[in-house]
Amino acid sequence: MPTQIVMNHNGDTRHYFDANDAAALAKAEERFKQLAGEGFTAAVRTKPGEVARLNSFNPNAEETIFFARLVGG
Amino acid sequence: MFGIRRVPIARRSRLEALRGLYIHYYDEKDPHVRGLRLLHAWLSPPQLEQFNAKGHFDVIGCVTGRRYRILYGTQMNVHELDDAGHPKIGWCFVPEGRLVPGDVMLAQKIALETSEIRALSVAINFVPKRKTCGGSPILPGSSTTGLRGYLLQPL
Repeated sequence: MPTQIVMNHNGDTRHYFDANDAAALAKAEERFKQLAGEGFTAAVRTKPGEVARLNSFNPNAEETIFFARLVGG
Repeated sequence: MFGIRRVPIARRSRLEALRGLYIHYYDEKDPHVRGLRLLHAWLSPPQLEQFNAKGHFDVIGCVTGRRYRILYGTQMNVHELDDAGHPKIGWCFVPEGRLVPGDVMLAQKIALETSEIRALSVAINFVPKRKTCGGSPILPGSSTTGLRGYLLQPL
């Protein structure tokens, strides 16, 4: 089942959704837009160990990971 | 408490079982372990092997082709390496918020492999201590990781 993984102080929060459910899909896309709007980076695995950034919602992505804006430490 | 020492085979199997329980428990409850689990799942096989053996892993910058070493930690833990594999420049950048080491390291890997210039543009650089670049294996029972170190051992 497709999953959106949002990194946070608890490790992460996972949002599962059914890609065949229009309502769930819309909610997942809305979540993507909201996080992107807040400056989160979204990324997917293209193959083991290889990653790619996502600039728009991909309903077919099995796992999308989100992390907050990068700042100098 | 869980230091390395010889134990009888029967007892060892109980320890294995106990270790499995801890792994399961922490998998659900402990943010640090959740972060490490996530990191493990997203590392390439060579990176995972390196991380399990040495406590750090290398990534290649997507634009410059430079090699960076990401050490276990949440700050001042990214070192750019020279051709000889020695730390040349330290780059400090992290995601906003208080994240656990596994999450921070995964975000740094993704950033360098997909948005290297953007990551470096926000980073603060520093002179790395050469001795830290080798990293140290995160072993079971070590004072810094405790039981969490078991996660880095093959299941």
